[in-house]
Parts: sequence; structure tokens; C-alpha cells
Amino acid sequence: MKIYRLQKKVEQSIQEVMSVYKQIHSLPQPTLLREQHYQYLKKGLRHLSDAYECLDASRPWLCFWILHSLELLQEPIPAAVASDVCQFLARCQSPTGGFAGGPGQHAHLAPTYAAVNALCIIGTDEAYNVIDREKLLDFLWSVKQPDGSFVMHVGGEVDVRSAYCAASVASLTNILTPKLFENTTNWILSCQNWEGGLSGVPGLEAHGGYTFCGTAALVILGKEHMLDLKALLRWVVSRQMRFEGGFQGRCNKLVDGCYSFWQAGLLPLLHRALYKEGESELSQQRWMFEQQALQEYILLCCQNPTGGLLDKPGKSRDFYHTCYCLSGLSIAQHFGNMDNHYEVILGKEENRLAPTHPVYNICPEKVAQALQHFLRMPVPEVSRQPGGSGEDRPSDTAAASSSADLQS
Amino acid sequence: MAESEEEVDVLVQRVVKDIANAFKKNPSIDEIGVILCPEARYNRSPIVLVENKLGVESWCVKFLLPYVHNKLLLYRQRKHWLDREALVDITCTLLLLNPDFTTAWNVRKELLQCGVLNPEKDLYLGKLALTKFPKSPETWIHRRWVLQQVLNQVSTLDHNKNQQQAEAVQADAERNEQLSDRLARTLRQEMKVCSDAAGRYPSNYNAWSHRIWVLQHMARGNVKVLHDELSSMRVWVSMHVSDHSGFHYRQFLLKELIAEICKRPAHTSTSCSPQRGCSTVPEGSPCPHSCSHSNGEPSGQEAGGEEDSHADFTTVLQLFHQEMDLCSDLIQSFPGHETLWSHRRHVFYLWDQWVREHQHSCSRGSDCKLIHLTDPDPGVPEISSQSCAGQGHGVNGQKHASEPMEVDGLFLPDPHNSKRLKRGVLLPCPPTLPTELSFVSSVLGGCCNTEQRHFALAYRKWLDTVIGLQS
Repeated sequence: MKIYRLQKKVEQSIQEVMSVYKQIHSLPQPTLLREQHYQYLKKGLRHLSDAYECLDASRPWLCFWILHSLELLQEPIPAAVASDVCQFLARCQSPTGGFAGGPGQHAHLAPTYAAVNALCIIGTDEAYNVIDREKLLDFLWSVKQPDGSFVMHVGGEVDVRSAYCAASVASLTNILTPKLFENTTNWILSCQNWEGGLSGVPGLEAHGGYTFCGTAALVILGKEHMLDLKALLRWVVSRQMRFEGGFQGRCNKLVDGCYSFWQAGLLPLLHRALYKEGESELSQQRWMFEQQALQEYILLCCQNPTGGLLDKPGKSRDFYHTCYCLSGLSIAQHFGNMDNHYEVILGKEENRLAPTHPVYNICPEKVAQALQHFLRMPVPEVSRQPGGSGEDRPSDTAAASSSADLQS
Repeated sequence: MAESEEEVDVLVQRVVKDIANAFKKNPSIDEIGVILCPEARYNRSPIVLVENKLGVESWCVKFLLPYVHNKLLLYRQRKHWLDREALVDITCTLLLLNPDFTTAWNVRKELLQCGVLNPEKDLYLGKLALTKFPKSPETWIHRRWVLQQVLNQVSTLDHNKNQQQAEAVQADAERNEQLSDRLARTLRQEMKVCSDAAGRYPSNYNAWSHRIWVLQHMARGNVKVLHDELSSMRVWVSMHVSDHSGFHYRQFLLKELIAEICKRPAHTSTSCSPQRGCSTVPEGSPCPHSCSHSNGEPSGQEAGGEEDSHADFTTVLQLFHQEMDLCSDLIQSFPGHETLWSHRRHVFYLWDQWVREHQHSCSRGSDCKLIHLTDPDPGVPEISSQSCAGQGHGVNGQKHASEPMEVDGLFLPDPHNSKRLKRGVLLPCPPTLPTELSFVSSVLGGCCNTEQRHFALAYRKWLDTVIGLQS
């Protein structure tokens, strides 16, 4: 009954927000608090380049969340700051390849994903040059399992996020080979359950974060058509809350702003996949979710008036939610395929964010630029065999804590 | 209130010691928490022990956590030495305050590997951390690592035992029993830890995922455990009707159980293969090598494949029927809960799949007729010979009695009691598309809850579009 009461409570709080809003404004014109968010992000950015040994082991994630939020808001990143971030991330890179949660720690796929994304957002030669591609490939091999899955770090556990992190960094930096992802497709497919969504490992409950990761990984590998796309579509559209407008992570759970990206972000992927399958009934203007309702939820319920975005009314702001609420807002505003681009902007034109790439979640131009840069280089030679789970040496990263947000 | 570095040092060391002493004083501490207390008073220790509850006053956390965290990082970077006892105490303190700090768990892994710590300690520490942080991913991950060490230990011992064939049989059996007792106890403890964590946070994905992992690794193929879990979970899910993870667990149990039941070869004496060893809890019997029937009863009574597959079919049908019944009961008692409808879909989907897969094997025997799930009228159980009771002849060649089975909502006869079934008591009607559609109609007819209506209609749409199209 607890969840039921909580659900009612959330609906009530959102109802209050909506009615207060309607009282103040005769015509609902939700506003994105650009200036406030920019100040919040700017402050966060300052601390990123601090050199002191910090308690926080999610620093690459912070880099990504903040930089991506700024690029969505189309705010420039000062060159000095960009350079500082590059140097910091270089210190997070492990001598044996991949990036860790903080300097001196062991590499982990999650901060590796975040670091590569952050560097691609910066997009300078200095940024690209931070990445040791040969060692990165070694690292990916060291976490590859014979059954096609990847552990998050040497000696760690398997879950489907790792496949996405690996595929993302490998494809962006042009170190991807078919052998590296041998059996991965089948492993990811085995994570799709009867509900249509994907679970963290085969046999568990379908979950928004894992579903996005599995699907996006398959898109990168060119195998998304092997999923039961219709079942997945049924599952994800059922996750948009009828009352709140935002998305839940799983059946019968509460709405959460971050799922604006993890769940809604699936619709562009599915749209494209179904289009490739020859599906004729697809819209040329809209994704298959209520774009306007999602924007309403984010703008009216997920903004902290002093800057930053959040899960739901009553929760505190943080950079993770800022990043994913804005990413979701962008998805809801922009419809695009090969041939056309169509926008639905709720409220003022100034609410418009930059579009984001639905697979990598960085701006599409940055993806193109990175690919262009790295495709000029040859794919590195493999210097070691797949690691299996041979090494029992535990890894010192608490970077899992940030990806824990995917599990709530 | 500025504290000098030295003062902080002294304070923290005291607090860490106080925590360690609290555990020594009371080994039965079962819950931890932070006591809201913004200022230190009377120069007292911030560690409070009341009965079995350990509290840390909140004012000290901001000193404690960064300091201890830093100390551990320095140790890791070989810039500061800590002896083993200090490591144990410091990691304990840290993890009770921040169980997602992987480094601390890793230090404990090393201590475990060199024998300084015993695995029970970490399971206990984890259990405590979960009372305050029931989702903590790192705690669950570490827990699985510890359990894996325990299982490795056990199967090494088992392997050694198998090799030392010259040893006295008596000693073997005793040691076997000790091992299986230990495993059974560990299994029960894990179920309890998962259950508690599931109660502390709704739809606790990590807790339920862990529970599934435990069964897969410590009770693989153990039909008795699966049955027991299914029964004991009835009450829990009935009190947590929105807990999607809880119902997903039932779906998992059902699937495993059915897979096990159908896996059994048609002949009787199946001994537990020695390769499975003692790293899974043996099926309810003191000697791990005795064979048991699919529902925990001693076997050896019947012969012949068809009758066994009939028994299997009836057991499976029983399971599905009970589950659907539970679902219907909850749907009607608690209108408007999406999880219940989602559960119904899944159970029906599983049943539908199972029927399709077994249609071929079951129609081998002329007696065993399965009803096609989209048949317009499956008939009333007591009358139709085409009913799910299947065979015209019972196990002993006798006709079925027309005694209807006691079908009282939740309380169907215990599935363990297959003997009763074999004597020819009629079986419940299997779920079919028409019966499901009529269930939906009855719900729509009776309810005024808008959410309930919505879910009922959505279920009907799913039946029509997804299931209906498959036939």
C-alpha cells in the first residue's frame, strides 16, 4: 500500500504545482529558467577543475552532466575551463586503460563512458588526445566476458549498462571490432523479457535505465532489429504517467525526471528501428509519446527556482537530474530523422534547447566531429587476450554510486 | 564551532573505537541509524546504543565521514599505515555511514581473503548497512562476492570429500549434514535480509535481484525451496500490492518451478547428480543423494512416463490456477493497482506459452487432451470429459470421481499433495482467453474505480491484440 499512497501523494503535489501555476498565469507559458540553471552549472564547473583530492569518486560523471547540460543550453564553455577539465580527466585515466572515478583509482566502465563523452563535448584536439586508444581497447578486452557480456570493472559484476558504455566509447573513438563484441548482441537480447523492456541481467525485472542502455548498445552494433521492437514499444509507452506527464522507471513506480531521458529517449531509437524495418504507419512529425506532456512535467515540476533540475517536486536538485531532465526536454522538443526536423516547443521560443543525439546523449555535431577525428586513425592492434573474470583484484571505484541512480 | 585538526583526530578515533566497542558489547545489534542532533552536548560520545539499535548523532558525521574516508584512501595509496584491527574498525564505521564506498568493501575483501575477517562478519555488516540503506548497490554486490566465497569453500570441501573415498561413511554423512545445514541457514538468512530490505523500500530492485541470485546459486533446481518461497510470498505480496518487484519474484519462482517439474525424466529414480554437489541446498532430506519426487515427496510409487507427465501437467495447472486465483482475489480486493494487472498478464502469458509448448508432448497419449486456450467453451469442470482432468482413466485405471475440488479462492489444496490428485479428484479449469475476457467483464461490471477500469480495458486490449493474434 505504501507505493499506492506515495503515488497519490506525488499526484497531489503535482496537482498543487499545476494549479498554483495556472493561478499566476492566465495562459500557461512555462519558462525554462535558463539563467538560474546556467549559474548553478557554472558553479559546479568551477569545482571540477580543482586539483585537490576529492571525496567524490564520480568526477568524470560530474564533468559529463555539467558539460552536456551547458551544451543543451547552448552556453559556451570557456577555453581555460575546457583545458582544465581535459587535464583533470587525463589524471582520471588509468595507466592500464579506461577512466576511473577519480585520480589513482581503478578503471570502471561508467566513468569511462562519462569521460569520453565529456571529452567529445569539449571537442578540441587537446580533448581527443587525452584518450589513450590502445590502452582503452586493452581495458575493454579486460572486462569482456566469454558469454558476450562485460563486467563494469575488473573483478566486478556484469550488467547491461556495461555493454552500452563499452559500445559507446569504442564506436566514438574508432576502436570497435566485431570480435570485441562477439556474443554481446545475444547477451543483450537475452535481457529483454516478456514485458518488452530489458533488465540489468537476464531474468530480472525490466527497468528504464537498463532498457535504454541495452537498446542503445544494440543500435550501435546495428542489431536493434533483433529485439521484439513492438513489445519494447508497448512497454516504454506504458511508462509515461497519465497524470504527471513524466516517465516512471518501472511499472507502478513513481515518476522521476531523469526517466525523461532514459525512457523517452527510447522512442527516437525505436522510431528509427521500426522505420528501417519498413514500418509504414510512422509519424513524420512526432515521436510515439506525449511530447507536450513531458515538457510540461519537466518545466513545471522539475525546476529548482534557484537553478538546477530534479526528480519530482520536493526533491533536491543535483547535476545528474539537471543533465537528464534537460536531455529529456530536448528529446521532447525535437523530432528528427534523415529527411526532416520538426520542433514542438512548449512555452516561449527561448525554452528551446539544442538537439541531442539519442544514442550517445551528446549533441549530434559533437558526435560527428569525434567520429570524423577518430576515423582517420587506424583501429589499434589488440595487445592482450580477453580477460574473462580472471583477476580477482577488487577495483577501487565508487563510480557505481552514480549509476546507482539508474536503479532507483 | 571550528575544530582543530588534532581535535578532530582525537574525536574520530574515539568514535571509531566506540562503535567497535558497541558491537563487542552487543553482538545482536540489528539496526543502525543517524540520530538528528545538530550539536554535541556534554562532551558525550555520539554513539548511542539502546537495546539492539545503534545510533550515531548527526553532528559528528560531518567530521567522521571525511576523516575516515581520507584515512582509508591514504592507506590505499600507501601513504599511511593502518593495522588490521584499525582497518576492520575504520571500514566498519565508514560502511555504516556510506555503504556505497567501494574502496572500504574492497579492503574488507582483502582482509577476508587473508583470513583476518570471517565472511559472517561481512554478511552481518552488510545486513546492518541495509537497515539504513536498503538499496545500496555496493552492499548487495559485496554480499554476493562474500556468498560466492562461502560457496567456493563449501564445494572445495565437497570435492575433497568425494576424492577421499577411503574415509568412513559415517564421517562423510555428518560432514555433509553440517555443510547442508550451514547452507540452508545461510539461504534462510539471505531470504530474510532481502525481505527486510524489500519492506524498507518499495519495489526494491536490488533486494529482489539479489534474492533471485541467491536462489540461482544456492538452491538451483530445488523444487522444495521454490515451492516454499512461493507459499511464503503470498502473504507478503498481498500486503504490498503495488510492489512490482515482489510480483516479478513470483513470476520467477513460477517459471523455475515449472521448468524443474517438466525437466524431470519420465522414470522415477533420479538421484541428485554428484556434480551438483553440496553447494546447493539439498532437497529437504538429510542425505543429499536421496531422490525425491517433484513436489518433495518420496518417489518410487508409479511407473510409466505418461502418468508422470500427467502428474506433471496437473501440478503445473495447479500452480497456474492458484496464481491466477491469487491475482483475481487481489485485483478485486484492491482495485486500481497496475502491478496486479501486470502480474496477471505475465502469468497468463506464461501459461499460454507453456500450453503451446506442451501441446505436442501431451497429445501423444490419447487420454490427455489439452484445451486450446482460445476454445470458445472449455466446459464446466464437473461435467465435461474434455475437461482439464484429462485422462478418462485414473492412475489405477479407475474412472474419475465426480467429486468437485474444494475451490475456495486462495485456498486450493496444497500442491505438495499430489496423491490426492492422483486419486482422481477433478482439477480446476485452466485459464483460457474466454475465461480471462469474462473476468475482465466481471471487473468492469462491478467497479467504479477509474484506474481499475482503465487497467481492465488495457488488459482486454492486450488479450485481443497480443494473445488473440497468436492463435
